[in-house]
Amino acid sequence: MRLDDYIEMEVNERAERRRLAMEKSYAIVDHLEDFRHRFDDAVQGDSLFGSVSPSIFVGRSNYPNVSTGILSPVGHEGDADKFETSASWYDEGVSIGDVFERRTSLLNSNRPVDVRVGARRGDGLNVHDAWDGFLGAQREVAIADRPVSVEIGLDGRPKLDFDVTRDDIATPTGPRARARSADLAENPHVPRPVKKTLEDDDWQAQGAMNYLYRRGFDVYDITRILSAGALGQGRNRRLVPTRWSITAVDDTVGQFLRGTLRDAPSVDAVQVWRNEYLGNAFWVILAPGRWEFELVEMKAPGSIWNPDPAAGMWIASDREGYEGRTGYVEETAGAYYASRLAVLEHLSEVGRQAKCLVLRHVSDDYWGPVGVWQVREAVRHAFEGAHGEAETFGTAVREVADRLPVSTSDLRRKSEMVAGLQTSLADFTNAGGTVNR
Amino acid sequence: MFKAIVSASTLRDALDSVSVLVDECKIRLNEDELAIRAVDPANVGMVDLALDAAAFESYEADGGVIGVNLSRLEDIAGMANAGDLVHLELDEETRKLHIRIDGLSYTLALIDPDSIRQEPDIPDLDLPATIVLEGNQLDRGIKAADMVSDHIALRVDEDEEAFFIEAEGDTDDVDLELGRDDLIDLAAGPANSLFSLDYLKDMNKAIPGDAEVTVELGEEFPVKLHYEIAEGMGQVTYMLAPRIQSD
Repeated sequence: MRLDDYIEMEVNERAERRRLAMEKSYAIVDHLEDFRHRFDDAVQGDSLFGSVSPSIFVGRSNYPNVSTGILSPVGHEGDADKFETSASWYDEGVSIGDVFERRTSLLNSNRPVDVRVGARRGDGLNVHDAWDGFLGAQREVAIADRPVSVEIGLDGRPKLDFDVTRDDIATPTGPRARARSADLAENPHVPRPVKKTLEDDDWQAQGAMNYLYRRGFDVYDITRILSAGALGQGRNRRLVPTRWSITAVDDTVGQFLRGTLRDAPSVDAVQVWRNEYLGNAFWVILAPGRWEFELVEMKAPGSIWNPDPAAGMWIASDREGYEGRTGYVEETAGAYYASRLAVLEHLSEVGRQAKCLVLRHVSDDYWGPVGVWQVREAVRHAFEGAHGEAETFGTAVREVADRLPVSTSDLRRKSEMVAGLQTSLADFTNAGGTVNR
Repeated sequence: MFKAIVSASTLRDALDSVSVLVDECKIRLNEDELAIRAVDPANVGMVDLALDAAAFESYEADGGVIGVNLSRLEDIAGMANAGDLVHLELDEETRKLHIRIDGLSYTLALIDPDSIRQEPDIPDLDLPATIVLEGNQLDRGIKAADMVSDHIALRVDEDEEAFFIEAEGDTDDVDLELGRDDLIDLAAGPANSLFSLDYLKDMNKAIPGDAEVTVELGEEFPVKLHYEIAEGMGQVTYMLAPRIQSD
């Protein structure tokens, strides 16, 4: 076992970070105050303002009558693209505080709308055909590959509240204002593959999502495009709440990648990979055999979903076998699909399948939920650099469990894979492979 | 050539035992029996079915192989009342199966057998313990285990001469002990293996409550479950690969 060689726990650093995190939470109020000043500078007399919009947001409450909006970093137009959630946030090393700061800087100019037919209901108009007005402008922002100049007319002043929920999937949202109108101030640049999926209204959404992924679009782009109702067969197109869209894309692309690995050879040794980001530690154990996946989450007392400092460690898990799962996960929500995608991307790159256990330890440093991108990027980047190797899956689990706040026996009760790895009948025929014990 | 008449209930019992594992399968129309062997896509669970010619009202076959969509064939069989007779006849020219039930006739398009997953090699296992019990007893253990966990341990205690069905959940445990007196028969041996409940539940669904089930078990080895249908003129064997414990 070479696990010890590359894992160090920086105890002092963690304590320092926790102290900073506690202070940062109060900083949100300051960010909102800053926003008010920038907004006052930007808005002209009749509540009309010009900005540059990198993204959109579709709410999910009261579905199908949702609120849908264009996001603009008022007063920060010069670097608008850094306000959009993306893989580059990890590379940039943004902190939890940075995420909240960026989100409090994004004004969500929104309108209530029926997801099926856009602003006008009952006249048979599908969201697919709605190219004018607010929805049209929103769609253009979503399909463009860079921030788009827009002019937005508001009905009154923005509401400066900040929506900190326990939602682990969508990035937190900032100030909101009811929009009267939105107009494009430029002709947006739309990549050719996106035009192709947009124009083909006979193409099922899943196929279109996978096409875009294969053409090099990251899930962040695909999520935005799906959310705006720009993918799928014409009659099925509708606005998709951002939160649902994120998981739908992670799941769809994950299923596609899993399919490509169905007959792939297996990894040939038990590997342990690790990464830590924003108070979340991830351990990924890959073992030889056919595809099997499980995410086990351990949430420390005092962390965002387990706020009572006196409560015990909160453990959740979900899993799938070789054929995948049919229902939505019960305990781990979007983190399951995001981490599964990250693992499948790695396996696809090396052309192997594996039995894969992801252990997520959320420490009390994680004081605010920043969105599921954090899980996706942390696990994606876990496969950089060195990894440990173990003789067996069992020894790998025990070594990792020593560094986790739960015992191996607790883990065995909660984790199907720790309890036992599924063998195949071929492992027991003379012609078949050897049994992985 | 294939032409047979069979009672709807026998046909349904036979199809059920296979359809819990796979959606489509090859049916071997041997001269003396109808045989199906199939494995699920993950190669974890297998079924081996033989329905003797004697289980049919009449049976003529010459060793052909057909591929069928099981859910469609089950749907058709479901149109019959338990006592109805089902007439089956293969049209070699059109590769279709003609099915007649009390005036209702249905033509089922067949699947090219070569397009169906290969029949598995049966692992040649010498399992040290054999337990014979009623379908109902197995069902009770599986139902209780399913309340707390996704996996189940089947174990024989040689000293106590007892068979145990056990499950450990997040917080709760289930334990069903069946001593020699509770069982129809027991040949004790070292046996303790863990299985996925997803599979075992599906297999259990097809096993009639009053059937006599023979369980062959080893230490971290596949389990074999045998039972009879059609008044002893049909035999079903399931084989299920274990989950191997990580210690």
